[in-house]
Amino acid sequence: MIRDVALGQFIPGKGIVHRTDPRVKIILLIAFITLIFCAFNFVSLAVVTAGIITTLALSEVSFKLYFKSLKVIIFIVIITSVLNMFYGTGDPIWQFGILKLTMSGIYRAVFVSIRIVLLILISSCLTFTTSPTDLTDAIERLMKPLKVFHIKVHEIAMMMTIALRFVPTLLEETDKIMSAQKARGADMDSGGLIKKVKAMTPVLIPLFVSAFRRAYDLAMAMECRCYQGGDGRTRMKTLHIKKLDVFCIIFAALILAGVVLCDIFITPII
Amino acid sequence: MSFISASSVKYRYEDSEKNALNGVTLKVNKGEFVALLGHNGCGKSTMAKTLNALIIPDEGMIYVDGMDTADDEVTYEIRRNVGLVLQNPDNQLVASIIEEDVAFGPENLGVEPGEIRKRVDTALKTVGMYDYRTHAPHKLSGGQKQRVAIAGILAMQPSCVVFDEPTAMLDPNGREEVMRTIKTLKKKGITIVLITHYMDEAVLADRVIVMEKGEILTQGEPEKVFSQVNLLKKHSLDVPQSTELAYKLIGAGLRFSKMPLNVQECIELLEGALS
Repeated sequence: MIRDVALGQFIPGKGIVHRTDPRVKIILLIAFITLIFCAFNFVSLAVVTAGIITTLALSEVSFKLYFKSLKVIIFIVIITSVLNMFYGTGDPIWQFGILKLTMSGIYRAVFVSIRIVLLILISSCLTFTTSPTDLTDAIERLMKPLKVFHIKVHEIAMMMTIALRFVPTLLEETDKIMSAQKARGADMDSGGLIKKVKAMTPVLIPLFVSAFRRAYDLAMAMECRCYQGGDGRTRMKTLHIKKLDVFCIIFAALILAGVVLCDIFITPII
Repeated sequence: MSFISASSVKYRYEDSEKNALNGVTLKVNKGEFVALLGHNGCGKSTMAKTLNALIIPDEGMIYVDGMDTADDEVTYEIRRNVGLVLQNPDNQLVASIIEEDVAFGPENLGVEPGEIRKRVDTALKTVGMYDYRTHAPHKLSGGQKQRVAIAGILAMQPSCVVFDEPTAMLDPNGREEVMRTIKTLKKKGITIVLITHYMDEAVLADRVIVMEKGEILTQGEPEKVFSQVNLLKKHSLDVPQSTELAYKLIGAGLRFSKMPLNVQECIELLEGALS
């Protein structure tokens, strides 16, 4: 049952978005997120939305999955938009005590909810179309300049790689330990939340012990394979910017230009 | 000169009172297949770690291909040249994709990307896991994972591979797969040191070394070592089943020209003795 938890929701595919260089995808994601928060009127917001919807359509991932990822945040959307509704300035349309509903508040609420939804959609698009290994790889390469500030980029990426590698192994182990404890009469399914959490102790302790043992073994295996940190290390897979990546960048640049122009020539609503 | 030569090696773990290795002297020739036998805690795993400079002996010297393992400057050259395959296949794999894991060694050595690709493909083909190159390790069986671990070592192009109980955590199928791979490596001229407590695996070696309490108890060709049934029994070590059967039959008065090491030999010798 524990294995059903969706982790790194990568959906293998061969679409355009899948084939785009992961570095480009991460940069474009950041660009899109910035754009989402730079759209100050409905026209520019519409441009961003159109750009994102096009990306999603090109991703060859079913829209059902995108809706699923939205389900989780529906409450956040509702709460923030309700809060925003009463934060506007100007003439109240409706008033109840200190609660003031204004036109600008309603605009705000609409903007905030659209922004959050877009944010989730475009981020899911990245995780759906990029394998975790590609992601860590791209992050390592993108963060390389940070070495100047003595940030251990290679070490961070290595930790992410190992963490991703051991997630399924440790999940399997958790399953095994749970069965073993159940066989010894442990009760994990009944009682309230606190009781259930307490019942996890006999699972977590052996899991931690074994994780440390694995870490020790792995460190030794890595030493056997001449691991000496990031210096002097080469990579089998090198990333190259292809024609497709250039097209993606142009596409994003057009949307950027559209949003900026709309922002300049149309009066902002919020 | 021998490929590996250890002379009166002594080593003691920090938190221990006894020496884990108490004066081990051994030589391994190039291309030889040596099996290291012994109880748990007899020092055989410690010995394995001294061979690729994971452990530097307190006393005595170990030379690998003419390089001193105590010399810091050649540590990584030794580790590249003497690969070590550990017991638990799960804990040796670093990356979430098979081919990337195999590439880990050569990447650490700073090999060119194109050359790494070639080495990874060759290594995976040698262990028969090429078709699984894009799979995730956790979906493979134990034997397959161990073969991937072997490929990871092979990609560094070592001239010797040390196996530290590579089959201890595997089912019979997985054991068979790994042993077949080891035989392939032997054919390719790679020196093999196999640490095991399965006697049936040890009989495949050119030479068997039996360790006890950090020292070498006896060594020689498998037939010679396993014919010393009394000595091995005294140290509560096993002998191959067919050897044991022959030993008991000799005790009952039957005559054998030599000690059998596997079922086939045993059948032939029995037929000879009974006719």
